[in-house]
Amino acid sequence: MESLLKIENVKKIYGKTSNTYTALENISFQIEHGEFVGIMGPSGAGKSTLLNLLATIDSPTEGKIFMNDKGIHDMKEAELSDFRRDNLGFIFQDYNLLDSLTVKENILLPLAIAKVPAKEIEQRVQKIAKVFGIESLLSQYPYQISGGQKQRTAAARAIVTEPALILADEPTGALDSKSATDLLESLSSLNENNESTIMMVTHDAFAASFCRRIIFIKDGKLSTEIYRRDQTRKEFFQEILDTLSAIGGEVDDVI
Amino acid sequence: MTLFSLARKNIARNFSQYFLYIASMVFSIVIYFTFVTLKYSDIVSDMTKSSQKMGSLMSGAAVVLLFFVAIFIAYSNSFFMKKRKKEVALYALLGVRKRQIGFMLFFENLLLGVFSLVIGVFLGFLSSKLFVTLLIRLMGYDVVAPFTFSTEAVINTASVFLIIFFITSFQGYRLIYQFKLIDLFHASKKGEVAPKPSWIVAILGVISIGTGYWLALQNLLTSEAWRILGMFTPLIILATVIIGTFLLFHSVTGFVLTLFKRREKWLWKGLHLMTISQLLYRVRGNARTLTVIAILSATTVTAGGAVYSLYYNINDNVKLTDPNTFMYEQTANVDNEKVTSLLPNTIYDENISALFVTFEAKQLDSAMGTDGDKRIYTVINETTYNKLAKLQQKEELNLKGNKATMIDVQYHESLSPKYAGKTITAEKKGTTITLEGYHEVPVLNLMAGMTLVVTNEQYKELEIQGESVQFRAIGVDDATTDLSKKIASVLPDKAQFSSAPEDYQNGIEGMGSLLFIGSFLGLVFLAATGSIIYFKVLTEAEEDKSQYNMLYKMGVGAREMRKTVASQVFVIFSVPLVIGLTHSAVALTAFSKLFSMDFTKPVIIWMVAYTAIYGIYYVLTVYSYNRIITQNNKREG
Repeated sequence: MESLLKIENVKKIYGKTSNTYTALENISFQIEHGEFVGIMGPSGAGKSTLLNLLATIDSPTEGKIFMNDKGIHDMKEAELSDFRRDNLGFIFQDYNLLDSLTVKENILLPLAIAKVPAKEIEQRVQKIAKVFGIESLLSQYPYQISGGQKQRTAAARAIVTEPALILADEPTGALDSKSATDLLESLSSLNENNESTIMMVTHDAFAASFCRRIIFIKDGKLSTEIYRRDQTRKEFFQEILDTLSAIGGEVDDVI
Repeated sequence: MTLFSLARKNIARNFSQYFLYIASMVFSIVIYFTFVTLKYSDIVSDMTKSSQKMGSLMSGAAVVLLFFVAIFIAYSNSFFMKKRKKEVALYALLGVRKRQIGFMLFFENLLLGVFSLVIGVFLGFLSSKLFVTLLIRLMGYDVVAPFTFSTEAVINTASVFLIIFFITSFQGYRLIYQFKLIDLFHASKKGEVAPKPSWIVAILGVISIGTGYWLALQNLLTSEAWRILGMFTPLIILATVIIGTFLLFHSVTGFVLTLFKRREKWLWKGLHLMTISQLLYRVRGNARTLTVIAILSATTVTAGGAVYSLYYNINDNVKLTDPNTFMYEQTANVDNEKVTSLLPNTIYDENISALFVTFEAKQLDSAMGTDGDKRIYTVINETTYNKLAKLQQKEELNLKGNKATMIDVQYHESLSPKYAGKTITAEKKGTTITLEGYHEVPVLNLMAGMTLVVTNEQYKELEIQGESVQFRAIGVDDATTDLSKKIASVLPDKAQFSSAPEDYQNGIEGMGSLLFIGSFLGLVFLAATGSIIYFKVLTEAEEDKSQYNMLYKMGVGAREMRKTVASQVFVIFSVPLVIGLTHSAVALTAFSKLFSMDFTKPVIIWMVAYTAIYGIYYVLTVYSYNRIITQNNKREG
């Protein structure tokens, strides 16, 4: 089967002529259908830049990114909008929920945008709410619920359209460990049961241990790559810590 | 559920944000509509027909108003749009096309505009009644304002505002194309660097303002600078003051605040550190807005102060031009009996003998150039002057050594001739009269002409050299214009009837409309100024709320936070106000010199009123600011 995502020799330079800063260099990897990939690395390694490129809200200085064999940065504005709508789902560190809409309305927003019939919307929202355990919160407003519940709402919003690729940017960054575990377990079961493809940027080894595969970035370059295979989550967590200390990630960032 | 219905829901739930925007649009429409209604109303159009001055004043004011309203709406629109960035970016990220978002914003904006237009016209209709009544009261008419609804005004207002809304809506449409999605996606804030204050810029600013002030306070007629710069002087004054004000905000305030920063003992106590650092950044970053506010305040206070002063001084002016309630010349066909029959109880009723004498007065050429060498003066003797002065409760004259004195009510240091020591010669027989100086207290109404008071002996000498006239001077308490009209109707034109109530009425009519337009525009400017700061400060509150949340988490109490907010906002409000008031104080000083009138009292009243209303905005802004941060603190925990 073709790879879902193919990244070829991507380079990203910020700034002009003098005073430039190379955020990413010579990045190439592939993500297959149904993978749960973590991107790890110390602060400033270029994780978020990479995610922005994949999210099509920034474009690479050099190199190409293909999704289902289509160069995503060759598309025009309107085409790109449709592409995002149909193929991508986003989970942000700071949730980005609209305060004026209820949890339910926030979740169904992308469906409304895609003009899905109301009846189907109802079914899909109920289904996804069950996956994330937020059925009882549907009529609440974002300011009435906790951070963990907000993030699960945001995740439900990202997934409700069943996108080809879910991009998560430090989704557990603002959560306590209990909420973080709940969210990660939901994501992981979604990956296993629905074969959703997820790419998650994180610097938290615990969060990363839920992934099936982890790509390490350091100083804008690919550093190494590890697979979970048959290990338990705890064993994988230990392997991640070992890898991090081997490549010299900042200790502060690990836990 | 469609995107449209979600967007509609968003409007309904975010109503408080929309409310502010709609309210400011409605406010602008009410003001404009009221003004246009006045312009088209029967009463005002009758008045404008009779006085061209009023007509052109109204048109000019309408243009100023329109200009202002447009800027104001554009300002609140951009504030409103900024608040919605997050929502808009989220739509874009979720895959709504830019054009779709643009259209949504465009139509939403246009709809809000039309909605406000309907409300604004309705409220404006109600308020125009109030304003017509007010205008009539100010102009001293006793008519009840009819409740008119002018279709012309509606059409005028609707077309003007639809154009404005169309333009702002288009700006909303463009919003989505202006900013990058990445700004939202990774909320990495760009590092904000406060520019360093420069000594040179600071000094330039002070020099610039100083130059403007110096030029404004020069004596218009004798100043070298005015002579060289000529007509451009007022423009140069304006330019130097505006540029200076900007530089002042840009650099001088920076220095002052840096000075505070050095006093660590004070600085490192509580939130002083936060207050000063925030201000240091805000004041300089907002130099342009603060300049606009200072200049607007200065314009409002100056224009309003000047007009109000003139209005305030009408009574004094009338007392100078008409010391007698009524006065007329008793020409051949005057029926004195008829006038007497019309009069109520008088305080006094005197026959005044005077002479019209032609003099050679070469020595009295003033700075304004020659008025011809021969001049006719109205001559009265000392006894007559003192008799009237006593009746009018004024000080009596005591002429010494056979010298005469000129009564010059509008004596101006540089415009009027220097009287003391000069001599004039009667044309017929060459009697020479030496002046001891001038006297500013009149006893005859201005219609009698320039009055010369001579000793009784000189008067006798002059009697055969001039035309003798009899005036009748009458003092009445509480004389009405009706009485004045009745008397005028029985007197021939030749009698040159002059009446204090009538002159007062004329003055009030002319000044009243000026005052009305002045205070009306002043109100608009004030509202706009206040609203601009209000919007500006609240935008900053939105940006800063996370900082306050951090402080809250660090254990800073609500009271302390309120204090730092109040003092920060106070500086943002007061600095431009103080500078604006200083500008207008200088301008009004120059103005009062020009008119040789004392403006102190009315100007102070005006300034206090302005500051008081401005203060209400301050309180409101601090309140809203605090509400934003406490709400955020509650929410974020």
